[in-house]
Amino acid sequence: MSVISPETEQSLASAVARAHAAREPLAIEGRGTKRAMLRPTLQPWGPAARTLSTRNLTGITLYRPTELMIRARAGTPIPEIEAALAEHGQQIVAEPPDLRVLFGAEEPSTLGGVVSTNLSGPRRIMWGAMRDHVLGISAVTGEGEIFRSGGRVLKNVTGLDLCKLLSGAHGTLGIITEIALKVLPAGEATGTLALRVPDVTAGVAALSAGLGSPYGVSGAALVLEEGGITAFLRLEDFSESVTYRLGRLREDLAAHGEQSLVEDPRALWRSIRDAVPLRAAPEEAVWRLSVAPSHAAGVVASLRAAFPAKLLLDWGGGLIWVAGPATVQAHGAVMQAATAAAGTFTLFRAPPELAAAVPVLPEEALPLAAIGRRVKAVLDPAGVLNPGRLRA
Amino acid sequence: MQTNFTAEQLRDPDTAESNRILRTCVHCGMCTATCPTFLLLGDELDSPRGRIYLIKDMLESGRPASELEVRHVDRCLSCLSCMTTCPSGVNYMHLVDHARTYIEETYKRPWPERMLRGVLARVLPSPKLFRLSLKAAALARPLEPAIPGQSMLAQRLRGMLALAPKALPAPDPMQEAQVHPAEGERRGRVGLLTGCAQKVLNPEINAATIRLLTRMGIEVVITPGQGCCGALTHHMGQHERAMAAARANIRAWSAEIEGQGLDAIVVNASGCGTTLKDYGFMFREEPDAEDAARVAGLAMDITEVLEKFAYAPTRDEPAMTVAYHSACSLQHGQKITALPKQLLARAGFKVKEPAEGHICCGSAGTYNILQPAIAGQLRTRKLENIRRTKADVIAAGNIGCMTQLAGDAMPVVHTVQLLDWMAGGPRPEGLDGIG
Amino acid sequence: MIALPAPKPEILARRDAILADLARLLPADSVIGETLRLRPYETDGLAAYRQIPLAVVLPRTTAEVAAVLRYCHANGIRVVPRGAGTSLSGGALPLADAVVIGLMRMNTIREINYEDRYAIVGAGVTNIGITKAVEGDGFFYAPDPSSQLACMIGGNVMMNSGGAHCLKYGVTANNLLGVTFVTIEGEVIEIGGTHLDAAGYDWLGLITGSEGQLGLVTEVTVRILRGPEGARAMLAAFSSVEIAGAAVDAIIGSGIIPVALEFMDRPCIHACEAFAHAGYPLDAEAMLIIEVEGSVAEQDMLLDRIRGICAKFDPISMKVAESAEQSAAIWKGRKGAFGAVGRISPDYLCMDGTIPTGELPHVLKRISEMSAQYGLGVANVFHAGDGNLHPLIMFDANDPDSFRRAEAFGADILKLCVEVGGCLTGEHGVGVEKRDLMTTQFTRAELTLQRAIKSAFDPEWLLNTAKVFPLDDNPKIAA
Repeated sequence: MSVISPETEQSLASAVARAHAAREPLAIEGRGTKRAMLRPTLQPWGPAARTLSTRNLTGITLYRPTELMIRARAGTPIPEIEAALAEHGQQIVAEPPDLRVLFGAEEPSTLGGVVSTNLSGPRRIMWGAMRDHVLGISAVTGEGEIFRSGGRVLKNVTGLDLCKLLSGAHGTLGIITEIALKVLPAGEATGTLALRVPDVTAGVAALSAGLGSPYGVSGAALVLEEGGITAFLRLEDFSESVTYRLGRLREDLAAHGEQSLVEDPRALWRSIRDAVPLRAAPEEAVWRLSVAPSHAAGVVASLRAAFPAKLLLDWGGGLIWVAGPATVQAHGAVMQAATAAAGTFTLFRAPPELAAAVPVLPEEALPLAAIGRRVKAVLDPAGVLNPGRLRA
Repeated sequence: MQTNFTAEQLRDPDTAESNRILRTCVHCGMCTATCPTFLLLGDELDSPRGRIYLIKDMLESGRPASELEVRHVDRCLSCLSCMTTCPSGVNYMHLVDHARTYIEETYKRPWPERMLRGVLARVLPSPKLFRLSLKAAALARPLEPAIPGQSMLAQRLRGMLALAPKALPAPDPMQEAQVHPAEGERRGRVGLLTGCAQKVLNPEINAATIRLLTRMGIEVVITPGQGCCGALTHHMGQHERAMAAARANIRAWSAEIEGQGLDAIVVNASGCGTTLKDYGFMFREEPDAEDAARVAGLAMDITEVLEKFAYAPTRDEPAMTVAYHSACSLQHGQKITALPKQLLARAGFKVKEPAEGHICCGSAGTYNILQPAIAGQLRTRKLENIRRTKADVIAAGNIGCMTQLAGDAMPVVHTVQLLDWMAGGPRPEGLDGIG
Repeated sequence: MIALPAPKPEILARRDAILADLARLLPADSVIGETLRLRPYETDGLAAYRQIPLAVVLPRTTAEVAAVLRYCHANGIRVVPRGAGTSLSGGALPLADAVVIGLMRMNTIREINYEDRYAIVGAGVTNIGITKAVEGDGFFYAPDPSSQLACMIGGNVMMNSGGAHCLKYGVTANNLLGVTFVTIEGEVIEIGGTHLDAAGYDWLGLITGSEGQLGLVTEVTVRILRGPEGARAMLAAFSSVEIAGAAVDAIIGSGIIPVALEFMDRPCIHACEAFAHAGYPLDAEAMLIIEVEGSVAEQDMLLDRIRGICAKFDPISMKVAESAEQSAAIWKGRKGAFGAVGRISPDYLCMDGTIPTGELPHVLKRISEMSAQYGLGVANVFHAGDGNLHPLIMFDANDPDSFRRAEAFGADILKLCVEVGGCLTGEHGVGVEKRDLMTTQFTRAELTLQRAIKSAFDPEWLLNTAKVFPLDDNPKIAA
């Protein structure tokens, strides 16, 4: 499989235009960290298939700390951006996960990668998803045309919001080449309250109570281990505030379980962010379900009844990470549980045989699917961008 | 907002004034949100902004009013909630008053409507006729459920009979023309507007006012020659009738002002108070403009007078929770919002304010008779909000609201009755067994 | 007056039949067809542009909306959606051959769920109506456009409305979970739900802010948040707009993100004070409203830090609200700012460009130069933290020349915003007002692409035609 790694937006656009003219499909990626996510893109094309990588489109092009904005080329590795922000006490708000462990990848994610997959970490529950902080993009259509949407300012409703359309489209509607991101100051201090809870229902209730408190909980996760279930609630703010609010939270949640304070909260939340507590074995499949938190216990129960599910709950119980056997049956149980809870699912990581055999995302309502096909035809008329990534 | 009046049209002072008002409107739409009829009907045409537009179009065109605009102007309660909301300071009150007069002059209503309005305009302001008709209504009351149909006429008949009190209080001679001297050292001298319909429906309001004020050392003068303030006819667009009523009052009080003098003219029906305070504007082009302005300047709501003369309770705090219903004419018309609640709290009551306090109860002068369906929905909505306060009693500063809200589980009294009670007066009727 | 597409003669000719058909589709009292009663619907919050529509319908249910759309689609009739009609960009400006679909009657709150922290409300529920429904339980709906008292959530979704508090809490798009979407064909589609983030394409994100170009929204699921323990506003007055701008930079640079950071210049301070009586500093050239949240001690801590920063900029005065009433009065003035300008000028045009905050002094200086050049006053009020400007250009609509100058002045301001790296509209939408300026921000190819995406939803261009995209160069519309 050959890889094209253009060094400019213009040459990337030319490469896409050539592929478009030749009707040759392209696998779109940054550094390939999440190559195993969703469906295998180019399997049907075999060795003739080519990959188009943004790995050489790197570098921060503009950073204005007082304007709360950073702009970088799509292939810029996330750690590079985080380091630049940290110098000014700022951070990427949505806390995108580092999935090197989960996907067995060696290289870190790129900015383009986390935006194209709209990957958000624990802070999503309070501060919004990755796509919520995308201020503007430059991108290339499936015909090789460069376009911009949004800009570099914090508020912008000019024209249709193609930033959101492309965020989370997994490179199927265009290749993002540059991104302006809203950033915010990182909390001066982080504190985390741990509560031992008897079961998932009680755990989600504790998280809901925390999120329904006036203290600005910025992380609310449930870790299920052999030894028991622990609910974690995070506060990030000026240190005086964190101390005060932790105290109030302890009082308010006294009835929800035995309490303790986490000693190294930053390490804990990094591991939750990266789904480390899920302990997914390499041969297992991994799913992500998103439901209203009050449905979490029902989802967990039905999954456990179907297969030996490993679980990790984030976003107040609304995000359910699941690891389990990579079988059609297990996948069927996940789909059923998500549907029953009026939520959504993704087959996040699976062996290609399974991912190719099942829907990795819920089917869309027919009229919406028809609109989707028309939109795809506008942005990628020859269907060269990541064919088969989302759906067969 | 852009307007299109000819120079000729603008020579008419009323049109000139309306043009000035229309030009302050920037069409932002804030007023729609707090308009009771927009809330219920969800139509721009039944919002202040929509009415302003209809009125603008009607006045600019100079054509006679038609049913199409009259329908929507008639649905306006004149609650003036929009004026509280309006950031631009649009004087909707004067604009809609002008429109109502214009409609009355150029539009011929269907005869049952004309008749009803004629009767209301004659009966309500006259205590004698009003008393007679209430007696007749009491006799007809059992017929109410038997009136068939959903026609406006049928609805109105049923509505009127439902509003009429079951028992009519005896006339109280205290309310007749006389001077009620101050007890102890005289601290002030005020005129009292005893009103028209209120006098018949609930003489206790004037009685409590007189008791309380005289006890506080204030001489209360009920001048001969005063009568209805003119609001009822004014809001029906019957300009001349309203002006005549107002002029009689201006003469009566002017004589008193020039005689022994008055520190204030006390009004305890806030609907009347709003009109009294507007006499200056109503007479701005009249020969007696100065007298009118002087009367308007002296007009005060009873709560303002009590504040001015430092009301203080003498009884122990009652264990009673009062739901304070803010009459539109008081809160929107006169911008008196906190004062009645402060006085009630000073008197020892626990005061609660219902949700949607800015929304009219549907009384609005003759509105509950002329627009019974909308008025009924507003009453229900208001009573639900009041019930949620779990209070013991409703207090309001306007007889119209009191009549509209009566008949539910919670007793309704005038704010001054509660204040009088706590300052040594009798316990208001209907409160036995509470607190 | 801005150019509107030529009405379709065959539609105008069938007016009576169309009205009769609509009346059959909907319950009594849902269709308005008399010219006299249509006139109040001829405009919205941008009263300078007016056009009487063919008809207005006031449906009460999603099914009724779908029925009207299905009918209009089948008959090639254009449609203009309308909420409270508070758009400042003419988003609800009708067309002579269009049916206006007013969603004001869809004003019920269907569900409130505190455990999962969402509310499902009809498109005609006002923005503040959501907060009012949940505030008794300590919750609120975060986006708070200044017209929040009147504007409706359906319109908020269509315009992706912001507000004073979105510096911290984000705009409408960041606070939505789902919508009931009705296509021009009358298909009803549930998009999103009560959970976070879609698995496939982010249709919710695309629809939000689409200004009625893609379809109508009849029901909205919003996130509701628990309110903070308390909030307090302070005023800081400065002797020049430049100095106030520098103070804003310093506050943000210090790592504090106030929940709101608002700016007013002298004319605006005076107009708002006359309305709200909030104790605004009448001697200042510029004033900041800065709000912080938390417990009283936390508010004190943050306000101390902010005061310390402002003190370095030689403020004329600083005043911290001492009660909830004072805070409310401070905000009443700010939220009523646009209308309050109606006290000092018969008409205004409200601009809405956003600029990088670093460009603030330069842009304000240029605006004041343009004000002199055009001979029209301007009052500035804006969200300083995010650079979203609201210059209010004062003019007299009874003087046609003054309106023409106001339009040109406004266009110059917006071009300047784009020139310094900003955009045409931060929260009011392009509407009809900024339609023809789109070419200053986008290339022809970019506009063609956006139009093609609209066409994917609305192939016949029946939905809110004449808004957002320039009319020329568009084969779907004859100007």
